[in-house]
Amino acid sequence: MTLLSARALHKNYGRGEALVRAVDEVDLEVETGETVAIMGPSGCGKSTLLHLLGGLDRPDSGTISLAGKHVDKLGERGLARLRREAVGFVFQSFHLMDELTTVENVELPALLAGRSPRAARRRALELLSRTGLSDRAKFLPSALSGGQRQRVAVARALANDPLVVLADEPTGNLDSSATLEVLRLFDDLHEAGQTLVIVTHDSRIAATADRMITMRDGSFVDETWLSGGTMGSLSKLAGLEG
Amino acid sequence: MQQEVILAMLAKEPSHGYELRARLRAALGPVGEDLNAGQVYVTLTRLEKAGLVAGTAEPGQTRPDRKVYELTPAGQQRVAAWLAEVSWPKPDLTEFHLKLIAAFAGRLADPLAIVDAQRRELLRRLRDAQRAALGEPDDSDAALLLEGIVLRLQADLRWLEACERTWTNRRSRS
Amino acid sequence: MGRLALVARLVARDLRNRPAEAVLLLLAITAAATSLTLGLVLHGVTSGPYQRTSAATAGPDIVADVGPGPNPNQHAVPANLTPLTKTPGVTASSGPFPVLGLTLHANGYTVPAMAEGRDPAPSAVDRPLLTAGSWVKPGSVVLERSFASALGVRPGQTITLNGRGYLVSGIAVSAALPPYPLVCAVGCDFVASEPPGQPGLIWMTRTDLLALPGARADASWYLNLRLSDPASAGAYANAYDSTHPNWSAPSLTSWQYIASAAGRGVSTEQEVLLIGSSLLGLLAIASVAVLAGGRMAGQVRRVGLLKAAGATPGLVALVLLAEHLLVAVVAAGLGLVFGWLAAPLLASPGAGLLGSADPASLTLQNAGLVVVVALAVALLATVVPAIRGARTSTVSALDNAARAPKRRALVTKLSRRMPVSLLLGMRIAARRPRRTVLGLASVTVTVAGVVTVLMAHARFDTRAASSGTLPNPVNNDVIQVTTVITIALIVLAAVNALLLTYATVLDARRPSALSRALGATAGQVSAGLAAAQMLPALAGAIIGTPLGFLLYASIKHGSTMTYPPVWWLACVVLGTPLVVGALTVIPSRVASRAEIAPVLQSGAA
Repeated sequence: MTLLSARALHKNYGRGEALVRAVDEVDLEVETGETVAIMGPSGCGKSTLLHLLGGLDRPDSGTISLAGKHVDKLGERGLARLRREAVGFVFQSFHLMDELTTVENVELPALLAGRSPRAARRRALELLSRTGLSDRAKFLPSALSGGQRQRVAVARALANDPLVVLADEPTGNLDSSATLEVLRLFDDLHEAGQTLVIVTHDSRIAATADRMITMRDGSFVDETWLSGGTMGSLSKLAGLEG
Repeated sequence: MQQEVILAMLAKEPSHGYELRARLRAALGPVGEDLNAGQVYVTLTRLEKAGLVAGTAEPGQTRPDRKVYELTPAGQQRVAAWLAEVSWPKPDLTEFHLKLIAAFAGRLADPLAIVDAQRRELLRRLRDAQRAALGEPDDSDAALLLEGIVLRLQADLRWLEACERTWTNRRSRS
Repeated sequence: MGRLALVARLVARDLRNRPAEAVLLLLAITAAATSLTLGLVLHGVTSGPYQRTSAATAGPDIVADVGPGPNPNQHAVPANLTPLTKTPGVTASSGPFPVLGLTLHANGYTVPAMAEGRDPAPSAVDRPLLTAGSWVKPGSVVLERSFASALGVRPGQTITLNGRGYLVSGIAVSAALPPYPLVCAVGCDFVASEPPGQPGLIWMTRTDLLALPGARADASWYLNLRLSDPASAGAYANAYDSTHPNWSAPSLTSWQYIASAAGRGVSTEQEVLLIGSSLLGLLAIASVAVLAGGRMAGQVRRVGLLKAAGATPGLVALVLLAEHLLVAVVAAGLGLVFGWLAAPLLASPGAGLLGSADPASLTLQNAGLVVVVALAVALLATVVPAIRGARTSTVSALDNAARAPKRRALVTKLSRRMPVSLLLGMRIAARRPRRTVLGLASVTVTVAGVVTVLMAHARFDTRAASSGTLPNPVNNDVIQVTTVITIALIVLAAVNALLLTYATVLDARRPSALSRALGATAGQVSAGLAAAQMLPALAGAIIGTPLGFLLYASIKHGSTMTYPPVWWLACVVLGTPLVVGALTVIPSRVASRAEIAPVLQSGAA
């Protein structure tokens, strides 16, 4: 069932000579429970696309609908509600509040949505245990490693049980072992049926997806289904056979 | 390896043995400096014997480097199959590299399409290997081996991206 | 020389690139300098008017009077005054002059008056100085100046004294008695039948006075004396009075006593002015601190840039210092000019005394003091970022990791239970506690000042109402001064509030964008930014109001405290945060509607 669908999206920056078509005639459909990876060189517009999908920015033209509701037509309050209830965002630079502990960071979206402090705290602790960070609940972000911080950010994105989680270069600032942590988390989320749209240039992250889209100069140029397809034998990969 | 490469190079047009050698060396650069002259001619002779190329000697010449070679229909078929092949891993990257060059020079296929196809295949394999790696306990021997496979695939994928960039530029220039 | 040129060039470029901040700094230091100048000039003015009046009118060193006795047939005996003129040390005398209490009708007012019978010819001692019209003639009277201005009477008008009509021929000032409404500080004898209120002094011809019915019986007689040693007047008068307690003996009043009585009207003003200008100065310094703090993050980064371009820490500090000192010097100059111009508007040392804001009182000393203070303020604003910048490594300075806010556990816990806007507001305020405290202090100072000033205002108002129908010129002056100071305080506080909002909004850009990305509406964020200002304003109003009472109690000279009604206080306490909120509405709204994505893209982790 289609959860997120975008048609003929356009977003331009600048004018005249300096006009940049960040998103140029993009169509996208994401099914419930699907993980979609969008890859492309830097500056190709994938982050802009994600911002449009998440209601952080408005398209110049085109439609976006989430769970049947049109997003592109929403006013400021509607968009805020969207960000609160339907969409969870994960940023490349984590964007955790430095002056709040882990659990306070995670419960913030719930508090902003008007839930009672107790309910928000309970949900936050639940999410932290799901992401394996329960013992870090009272830590400040400065006391966490990069991978842990991003996991906290993912937990925060899940605070209000969003329909779709949008991740913008989630491992961009992480080293390889931290990348593994986050990778594992995304895999778990996928198993649990969470719909994910991940923008990345890391092929490892992309490989967790069901579907991979290549973007270049603002438009989609290629689409690959990663589930199914030819299954090479692992031994051949390892060079055991000739 | 070399067999298919030479076949592909003949796809553009028939050429002399020495011409083929020159083009190969140009395509390989420093990597090709060690290329044995004899290798090319030996391969040509073998291909001729296998019926994949047909060599026409200039009047009064029998030496391989002076013969003009061209593809036979069987050879053409072989080239087509080779271009579509996506098996991996290759012991080195040279074959893939020359495949792209040959495809472009002989207008046999779009190098970008070849790159994309290979990328897709590698991504699927990466997914499989990664899945398997995640399924193993963290410190196990299996996990370590699989991690190695994953990292290599990742490295190859990065190179394929570079190929894509380069060939895109070339195409837009030509 | 090359170094100086380099510094000059860097300073010029810097000021050109960021003119707005330089202008704001200039405004703040100018405000501080202006209020300091005002305070210094007015301080000079309000001391000494009595001396000026006395010198201009040949004022007496001693005024001796004899009055009627307690029994109706005990009349005053002017002859008892004559021996005093022969006392050793007396150099001149005038009088004795008859003085009588009368009822005056003029311009619809019915008020008591004290009439002194004088000769048309000028006296040796106490020659009232005419500020309008001409001296007494038969059938005409001269009014003391502050009495005349309270009544609204001008030369040429007719007034009635005890039913008889007289022409007002002139208006004068004198040092022999304190001006209206302080005449009775020296001593009045009044009949019970006279209208209530403070009497004013008028002069008429001796003949006219003595011709009034009952004059001879009820009159007192006044003698003015000049001494060879004026400073001894006080001791002499006290000694004489203590050895002559009899009702028929003269009672002596020294010029020091009269001066202090006359000055009492002035001193209240003076104190109000002093407090007012100190508060203004404090507020202005607070604005500078806010600005300096707001610039600091920017300064550190610029320091980093300069260092990266190869400047040594010494050069960097020099550039910053030069910039700020330049602004400070200009601001000091402006402040001196404004203060000097504004002082005459505020200073009126009692209409009954001569005096005006004397330009000469802006002495070189005072001017120097103002410049030094301005420079010191600018120096303080520079020193911290200069040192910090010089010490910080170039990389981290460029990194512009503005001091990361510290965890505030208590505020975070409390804010969780609040509605979203309040939650955001509390947390934003807690990010920069020093700035929040500065806002609180600014409001506290303003509210305390306004409360003090308004209580003084109310008291003077009620006093005017109760003393009958005649307005009190001293009260009017005080009211005028207090109004000006109140307005100045409020304006400066408003500027402060705007500056603080600007600084807060800038600093809170990332948390604002992030909150919106997590689902807060723009309205909630804007309300939060406003709340971050309004909460300290509320606290400031709550603290400032009793502080204002305390301040007022310290200047009221022992009269009872009349507290304003509760609803009035409630207005101040509730109205202040509302006003601050109104001021911050626009920047908050603008900030809350900024594009989210760009802010988050550029932000640090």
